[in-house]
Amino acid sequence: MLNPVDDALIEKLRAALPDGSLRPPEPRDLEEPRGKWHGQAGIVVSPRNTEQVAEVIRQAGQARVGVVPISGGTGLVAGQVATQGPPPILLSLDRMNAVRGVWPSENALVAEAGTILADVQLAADGENRLFPLSLASEGTCRIGGNLSTNAGGVQVLRYGNARDLCLGLEAVLPNGDVWHGLRRLRKDNTGYDLRNLLIGAEGTLGVITAASLRLFPRPTRVGTAMMVVPDPAAALDLLALAGAHLGPGVTAFELIGGQGLHFLADTGLPHRAPFADIPDWSVLIDVSAYGADDPNAALEALFAAALTAELSSDGIIAQSDGQAAGLWNIRENIPQANRLIGPIASHDIALPLSEIPGFIADMPDRLARLGDFRINCFGHLGDGNLHFNVFPVSGRSRADYPGASEAVTRMIHDRTHELGGSFSAEHGVGRAKVGDLQRYADPARLEAMRAVKAALDPAGIMNPGAVLG
Amino acid sequence: MKVLVPVKRVIDYNVKVRVKADGSGVDLANVKMSMNPFDEIAVEQAIRLKEAGQAEEIIAVSIGVKQNQETLRTALAMGADRAILIVASEDVHHDVEPLTVAKLLKAVVDEEAPGLVLCGKQAIDNDMNATGQMLAALLGWSQGTFASGLEIDGDNANVTREVDGGLQTIKVKMPAVVTVDLRLNEPRYASLPNIMKAKKKQLDEKTPEDYGVDASPRLEIVKTSEPEARKAGVIVKSVDELVEKLNEAGVI
Ligand SMILES: Cc1cc2nc3c(=O)[nH]c(=O)nc-3n(C[C@H](O)[C@H](O)[C@H](O)COP(=O)(O)OP(=O)(O)OC[C@H]3O[C@@H](n4cnc5c(N)ncnc54)[C@H](O)[C@@H]3O)c2cc1C
Repeated sequence: MLNPVDDALIEKLRAALPDGSLRPPEPRDLEEPRGKWHGQAGIVVSPRNTEQVAEVIRQAGQARVGVVPISGGTGLVAGQVATQGPPPILLSLDRMNAVRGVWPSENALVAEAGTILADVQLAADGENRLFPLSLASEGTCRIGGNLSTNAGGVQVLRYGNARDLCLGLEAVLPNGDVWHGLRRLRKDNTGYDLRNLLIGAEGTLGVITAASLRLFPRPTRVGTAMMVVPDPAAALDLLALAGAHLGPGVTAFELIGGQGLHFLADTGLPHRAPFADIPDWSVLIDVSAYGADDPNAALEALFAAALTAELSSDGIIAQSDGQAAGLWNIRENIPQANRLIGPIASHDIALPLSEIPGFIADMPDRLARLGDFRINCFGHLGDGNLHFNVFPVSGRSRADYPGASEAVTRMIHDRTHELGGSFSAEHGVGRAKVGDLQRYADPARLEAMRAVKAALDPAGIMNPGAVLG
Repeated sequence: MKVLVPVKRVIDYNVKVRVKADGSGVDLANVKMSMNPFDEIAVEQAIRLKEAGQAEEIIAVSIGVKQNQETLRTALAMGADRAILIVASEDVHHDVEPLTVAKLLKAVVDEEAPGLVLCGKQAIDNDMNATGQMLAALLGWSQGTFASGLEIDGDNANVTREVDGGLQTIKVKMPAVVTVDLRLNEPRYASLPNIMKAKKKQLDEKTPEDYGVDASPRLEIVKTSEPEARKAGVIVKSVDELVEKLNEAGVI
């Protein structure tokens, strides 16, 4: 059993760390973006360097007190909020935000865990390089959180998720040891991959303090188009056509359901409606080009081919980066519109690409057995990742659907599992999906995960209650 | 009535501008270029006049390098009827000067006889804010600058302008040159079907010689430099500390 933070521990931490490193928790430390879960903490500690992080972990280990690492606090599965158990230490990485170095010739960058994602992107841009991880929360989330949740975002199709963008880590392990693994190597086959174990561990196997990250040549131009498609099957065919035309030039391919555009209109969020009539389905495509290549010409050729193949009937090509930002703004405001409408249940699922049209087509009928709903389906289609969110019908609210949330989620996750999919594509397990992991994970894998956890963190101080429960 | 809309190809306003190492100008090699945003508003306004039955034909004109074709195609995709490209430079780094542009536009106006020239109030690359005014002077036409509202009323145009402390509406006699401001309208997106159709619209290519205009530069750029970088801020812990720091800086 773990102990709560007590005065004796606080005194020890105060003695070991510089002034101003400790403070009592404020409400904002204990909230998460969706306002569904509330955390608790005995103290907030903000170390300035890796040695201080190690000191906190050693003290916590001796006192048998839990530690919840927090970076930007934008996680969507309550990994960063301790909802139950004795109040832990909330270990904030916000003061460790230095970019330690950029190596343009190696396409590598080393940043501390608390560096805001947008600042990592800027540091790369300053050297004419691209750090491609890109999410709507990039102005707030921090690289330590991105790696700990193995974040995805809008460019996974081309560049992979956070895991694929990481070359090395520096981390404090649950016993207080510092692992110096900030290598900038593309090849390093020297045994078990601790880096990949810590990425996506959501703080349960240690604290990431810095990361060595992969950069890419910066595209000289990015073209953005929104194309209307008749249905999700056509969207997938269009994806394949885009691949045939542009190969790795396709850097984003997002599916947008009409319901999301209706929600944007209903909630009055500022946006410029792309089409006079809201299409049932559309896709948002980014094409990156290098040198003197013209991405817009490529998009026009793609559209011409799509028109012939009857995969698209209408569309827009952004004529300026400002228009491109406007189109992306639509995509990125949909989650906000969802929040304002108030979902009954939200899902972040991954499916084999070929199962997606069938899933989207028959899920409404299945759900109709549970009640009348509106569905907003959108997501990173190129990665097989759908945000499949279920809402009350117009004029009713969540409160009119008592008990529906669990039943809806169960139905959607069961079906996803049946089709060989995942109940969490990019957000993680956190505390919100502990039950799902127990229900759907392969038993041998679960057992191995428990063994790893027990070996690295026998006292269970690291992010207690998250992932394995 | 014909409406003439001059459109300039400029560095995209979202691009981070980099100065060339030798200070001779802004680096435009392989940089995203787009239609000057104010010109986009002018094109949109012309289309709205046409949709309202107040204009018959919209002619877009661009003066610059060969690649300005792309900018004209955008104007055509938005709804302009035909386009004229005057190739006055081979190098994107050479900015054709406002007076030259105005003279060329005057020659086009003499040929096309539009009832209205709608320009952007300025180009966002050199911020000259001169072409429309120079054109009006060369033509001896009335001008309405910084339009945030435009109404055609018989032989007159009512132009609403944003001035210090409010709005001013002036009545100018047509034909006129009207330069447009940001809040006049929100330009439409160019739809893909219209982008395809625009490829088939007429685009004539000309040179300054065709109009008997000497396009050689009169201005010399002495130096281009980046603005001073913003200094990092400091976070203060209390109001007292803030007052102290402001005192130190000598600002209060
Ligand atoms: C508007 C919005 C849009 C989003 N879009 C996307 C999206 O497109 N794709 C996507 O994948 N996610 C998305 N997310 C979810 C979230 O932004 C990402 O999961 C992000 O990577 C979390 O980073 P963070 O710094 O906020 O982490 P936090 O929320 O602070 O932490 C997340 C988890 O990581 C652990 N952790 C944090 N820092 C460390 C560390 N240094 N060492 C060990 N463990 C640590 C925490 O304990 C917690 O379990 C979105 C969220 C919002 C609010």
